[in-house]
Amino acid sequence: MSTTAQPKDEVPVKPANYRRLTDDDLFRHSSQYRFWSFIPDQLKQKRIELNAQAVASTEENLRKFMIENKDYLGDEELKTLEEKAVPVNMDEEVKLVNFYAKKVQAIAQRLNLPTEIIATAITFFRRFFLENSVLEIEPKAVVFTTIFLACKSENYFIGIDSFAAKTKGSKTEILKYEFKLLESLKFCLMNHHPYKALHGFFLDIQVVLHGKVDLKYMGQIYDRCKRRITNALLTDVVYFYAPPQITLAVLMLEDEALTTRYLELKFHGNTESENPSTGVSINFDKLISMINSCKDMIENASSVPVEEAKEIMAKVLYSRNPQVLLNKLKRKNSSENPEDSPDKRLKT
Amino acid sequence: MEYTKEKKVGEGTYAVVYLGTKQSTSRRIAIKEIKTSEFKDGLDMSAIREVKYLQEMQHQNVIELVDIFMASENLNLVLEFLPSDLEMVIKDKSILFTPADIKSWMLMTLRGVHHCHRNFILHRDLKPNNLLIAPDGQIKVADFGLARTMPLAHELLTSNVVTRWYRAPELLFGAKHYTSAIDVWSVGVIFAELMLRIPYLPGANDVDQMEVTFRALGTPTDKEWPEVSTFPSYNKLQIYPPPSREELRRRFIAASENALSLMRGMLTMNPQKRWDAVQCLESAYFKEAPAPTEPSAIKM
Repeated sequence: MSTTAQPKDEVPVKPANYRRLTDDDLFRHSSQYRFWSFIPDQLKQKRIELNAQAVASTEENLRKFMIENKDYLGDEELKTLEEKAVPVNMDEEVKLVNFYAKKVQAIAQRLNLPTEIIATAITFFRRFFLENSVLEIEPKAVVFTTIFLACKSENYFIGIDSFAAKTKGSKTEILKYEFKLLESLKFCLMNHHPYKALHGFFLDIQVVLHGKVDLKYMGQIYDRCKRRITNALLTDVVYFYAPPQITLAVLMLEDEALTTRYLELKFHGNTESENPSTGVSINFDKLISMINSCKDMIENASSVPVEEAKEIMAKVLYSRNPQVLLNKLKRKNSSENPEDSPDKRLKT
Repeated sequence: MEYTKEKKVGEGTYAVVYLGTKQSTSRRIAIKEIKTSEFKDGLDMSAIREVKYLQEMQHQNVIELVDIFMASENLNLVLEFLPSDLEMVIKDKSILFTPADIKSWMLMTLRGVHHCHRNFILHRDLKPNNLLIAPDGQIKVADFGLARTMPLAHELLTSNVVTRWYRAPELLFGAKHYTSAIDVWSVGVIFAELMLRIPYLPGANDVDQMEVTFRALGTPTDKEWPEVSTFPSYNKLQIYPPPSREELRRRFIAASENALSLMRGMLTMNPQKRWDAVQCLESAYFKEAPAPTEPSAIKM
């Protein structure tokens, strides 16, 4: 038995084959990577299947409705149903979810929640609708629920009474889908958002470009990048790229010259050569092309106009509740003033 | 029903634990039924933390979350079946264990804790009672009801975490910011307890805990822990000198020098100087003889 004491600060000698898990290895073990990262075709397929199933069951219900009510349905009614009670397609679903994801963001911001919690709420909401079709559960019904669960999950507890009062929501409605949400999230609550990576790059840029960047300017782009990240979380890049990759894309959007110079100094020197401390090798050209495709995807994301969202919502409403459409038609025929318009519903 | 609940084995403030079986595989499991009905705020925070962190970790020394289901308004966590824990072993005086057994338990515990830390998770309630033992002798870090993600630099935290006897000095001082070093401290206290077979720092209350801790390990000063004296409760403290190596040797008779160094590293007052889980795992203690006992060969 050895009797020499190991001094506190001595660095133990490492064996020749010593290798630690890299951050990449760890990220690949995260639930975010295992359950919620996709290649584009996978994601598309997932959405197509989800929509197809919901459309099939909606159409089945519509057929049943028409059979049950065939004695009351005249030509005009049938024509209206055919035109307006149409289940939404996959693109429309995605648009509607993105429209409401922005609402989640706006409401969470109005509640003055910290950036990370807003990000988590957006993430939860969008993931929920990768598992559930808007034809099955109205997006509106889970907006508050996702914010409420995001707060709890990020250790920012707000009691249901206080939360309901702040959002003017109903307690029962907020809690109704909470377990369904947790289940749809595949019980994955941990989120790695790109803000932490932003903080890291922000510090590293100042080290790598020491004396060549203005600190005040860095502070400004930091804040702007934070906002850009939140917007990127509303796009599909979150499913295709790791958080630091998204951060680099956002930095590139913010200041291409600065970011390129930083990356050149940081990585060009060791193209294809392995960093001995991390065991990671990064190919500069591959890195740049990856960042650029992520950047393009963020840049090209279009926001959904309110009018279009309303039209999609009307389709959802009428295809799920054909009676509503017929009632509306009846009222329209008897008066000029339709009350139960989808416009009104959307505003609440 | 895929899972049966056969026997109630424990009841805490927020959960009841049952032993049961997974029908399709006949695997023995434990079911933690969360008393949701008593929480009007929907899914309970402790349950959310447990789900959140266990879902991220698949490691031999971290308890496995097998499944989650909802039944009659209650959330149920299906966990791997772990018949024993380190507290039971320490207390059962009929069990004799060797320094090699202790080394094995320390190694497994530190591996589990290190896995939490490299995943940016603080456990915040390490104690013998939360180090469960599998039928094959593996230690499993369990009970993530108090866990949290590693805080950002500006985040304020509650210091009211960790069971008293295992609470690091920065928590005793009421620090609003702390790191994974608090978990390492707890493991250090557990290490001492394994060697002594009685609790090492059994404070009777929060004030006494400081007294007991500093009497055993010395009151920290600004010299080794800059600005420690600015904590509000500091000026009421009795100043004790740190124990000499000789005093430690006398207290921990069976401990090797490397074992004492490891313990001292984990029980360093200044959290910034305290050893982290990697330093602990790389300590000479684990490389010297006796080699840690094969977990399945530990006699219990």
